[in-house]
Amino acid sequence: MHITSFEARTARFCYPNGLTLLVLENHANPTASIYGFLKAGSYFNPPNRRGLSSLTASMLTKGTTRRSKLEIAEALESVGARISFNSNTFTVSMLGQSLSRDFGLLIETLAEELREPAFPDEELAKLRHRTIAAIRQEEEETRSRAVERLTQLIYTPDNPYYQLCADDLIAQIESISVEELGDFYAARYGAASMLLVIVGDVDTDEVHNRIGELVGDWTGADAGVINLPITPLQTAPMRAVVPMKDKANADVVIGHASQLRRSNPDYLPAQIANRALGQSTLSSRLGLKIRDDMGLTYGINSTFSESGLGDGPFMISVTVAPENIDLVVKTTVDIVEEFIEEGIREDELRDEQTSWIGGFKIGLATNAGIAGQIASAEMHALGVKHLDAFPTLLNNVTKAEVDAAIRHYFHPRRATTVIAGTLD
Amino acid sequence: MNVNTPALTRITEYHGITEYMLESNGLKVLLERRPAAPVIAFMVVYRVGSRNEAVGHTGATHLLEHMLFKGTPTFNKRTGTQIASVLQRQGAVYNADTWYDRTRYYEVLPSDQLELAIHLEADRMRNSFIADEDRQSEMVVVRNEMERGENDPGRILDERVWAAAFREHPYHHPTIGWRSDVEGMPTSRLKEFYDTFYHPNNATAILVGDFEEDEALDLIAKHFGRIPPSPAPIPPMYTVEPPQQGEHRFILRRAGQLGLVEIAWHIPEASHPDTPAITVFDQILSAGISSRLYQAIVETQIAVSAGAQSFQFRDPGLFTIEMMLPPGGSHETAERAALDVIEKMKTEDVSESELKKAKSQIVAQLIFLRDSPFGVVNALGEIEAVADWKFYVDLPALVEHVTPEDLRRIANEYFTADNRTVGYFIPKEEEG
Repeated sequence: MHITSFEARTARFCYPNGLTLLVLENHANPTASIYGFLKAGSYFNPPNRRGLSSLTASMLTKGTTRRSKLEIAEALESVGARISFNSNTFTVSMLGQSLSRDFGLLIETLAEELREPAFPDEELAKLRHRTIAAIRQEEEETRSRAVERLTQLIYTPDNPYYQLCADDLIAQIESISVEELGDFYAARYGAASMLLVIVGDVDTDEVHNRIGELVGDWTGADAGVINLPITPLQTAPMRAVVPMKDKANADVVIGHASQLRRSNPDYLPAQIANRALGQSTLSSRLGLKIRDDMGLTYGINSTFSESGLGDGPFMISVTVAPENIDLVVKTTVDIVEEFIEEGIREDELRDEQTSWIGGFKIGLATNAGIAGQIASAEMHALGVKHLDAFPTLLNNVTKAEVDAAIRHYFHPRRATTVIAGTLD
Repeated sequence: MNVNTPALTRITEYHGITEYMLESNGLKVLLERRPAAPVIAFMVVYRVGSRNEAVGHTGATHLLEHMLFKGTPTFNKRTGTQIASVLQRQGAVYNADTWYDRTRYYEVLPSDQLELAIHLEADRMRNSFIADEDRQSEMVVVRNEMERGENDPGRILDERVWAAAFREHPYHHPTIGWRSDVEGMPTSRLKEFYDTFYHPNNATAILVGDFEEDEALDLIAKHFGRIPPSPAPIPPMYTVEPPQQGEHRFILRRAGQLGLVEIAWHIPEASHPDTPAITVFDQILSAGISSRLYQAIVETQIAVSAGAQSFQFRDPGLFTIEMMLPPGGSHETAERAALDVIEKMKTEDVSESELKKAKSQIVAQLIFLRDSPFGVVNALGEIEAVADWKFYVDLPALVEHVTPEDLRRIANEYFTADNRTVGYFIPKEEEG
């Protein structure tokens, strides 16, 4: 499997309606995975209609014009197969998995759910009920509350990365009707923006033909245009506290607008910089000092959250006992400043290169992992060849490039700090 | 194999998995070649968990697991070869985890790093620093891990259910330990735990993925072969939980948003002949939208989620049902609805189609596990902790033999009122 390139092993089909299908045969295990997406994520929500894209995606599995939710579930669950739709910032992703002998059933059901959703009123009522409960539950989590507040401080309310507070989000969700779901579906769901990646114990020609029969004549909505301005870095630091009851542990999030997207030419150096700074609690700079040396936390991580089609926040998040908050925040800022001043060490750079390449190979050890990587490469217009080129691209990154990225993307003195927990 | 490395005896081969025993020290070794991707998964499972702890040193096994990342004379921070850094450098997916019956250390690596995985795990089996200075800082890390858990009402409720259901058996206390035990545990106690339980004859090494068998056996013999067996027999844990005589029931009140109900019943140990039937029972109750609990409780909006889990452990464990209520939901209504689902299992036979669906799901899940080397290692590691690995291979066939009568019998035998523990989490805000 690792002899021939991914590009050579992947068949690509472009249907007249705009749908792109990529198929990679892997006969190691009698299973198959689907990973797909279309452009119908939360970015496309109308104003004051947060949750619309998410409810629409979830409702696709709640019944079609031909079958009820339970009938579809019975059919899939009887063979241990599953399909799920998930709304992200820009896309709705679709995941499917079945034994290879049931793959026909899987893609037929996927096509039926995509093309013929019924949006039954009573199912929306139930989904709304569960969604609201899930929002209430998330309100109990210190980290979620800290991140939510951070996004409110660094993004404008019309930005898709701005997270509404629970009460406002629930109010909007309560007023969403099945008619609105239908309108959103008609406006956003279509073959033009759709990609399907299928990896596993399948026959390429059979899959190509069957997908053509099932969705080749589907047009639906246009491809959709994404035009999100880059959020500027704030000029001064802010600090906020989210008081919560009965929390033994607090969560602190330190962050700012990242200005990093996948299309930035220094994307790889920036990500290497972040890996060295804080990707792993057990081996990055922040974790080695604050967890390993000082024993102040179970977990500390830094991340470019959602640096893809858009520029989500850069965040350092740490879980900490309330009495240690000030020490942890100060130490964290000191470590980032030191990193900016010193740059990455040559050995750190080499370690992060081998680490990322090793992790990349491990991620490609499953059908779902391969499908996800191919879909991601396609989404960012890198093509399947990116899977083959990635190790070389990464190895070519230099210390100077990483140091420049560190200076460009990390701004601890302008970052916003949010603390969520019981602080009295 | 080299003439001067310790020998491995081939014990058996079963469905593509080969079992060996290191003659020099009794280490059990399981190998399965799956060369589909250039990756290996390696795990060492120690048959020691919080089940082996007693009053005053609860949480010792878990704290010790943390200490085993602190290094050895070969892998340490001073020389820039700290365990986590060395693994991270290769892009490994790695971790360790502790539970009632076992402690597991594992790494998934590119296949050219096979020796690193074997060397590292063999090294920390006997050479770990268990230093007081490290214990002090790691205790604070563990206390923070514990506090994170305490933030979650579901986790606290579950902890209380186990504590109420088990009076004498050490499943009574959570694996993370009681807070004051974790804070007060001396380093000498951890060292004693390490010296008592971390020996090759109390462990199973499992390797799955892209490797050549001869090379792997050589490396295992080279790195594990010279470790002596335990100087004394591994002490058995002999406490037996007596039968429960009447329902346990409690209420937990604290800040929170949504009410929770958890119901638990004692079930037999994993190696018991009823385990396949209980696995099917669990599937029928809780797998998917078409499952009985979902249809009776979530579809009717009594709860927003309803799940079941069968904890099939080395000693008799629990079968639990957990439900999360909507804002303003009734605990009593949810409990009654769940008990009605159980009552129906006692009085009516499950249909052939429902039984067939549950069996197909179990078989499919086992096949999906095989998509990745870690899926197989993980499953084998979990089974090794509670029974024998061959149970993993046999499960589909054993499940195939489960009948509607079996399900009715186990429902009546184990799911009785006297064998039951019920816990409610009531958010304080809900009170008038």
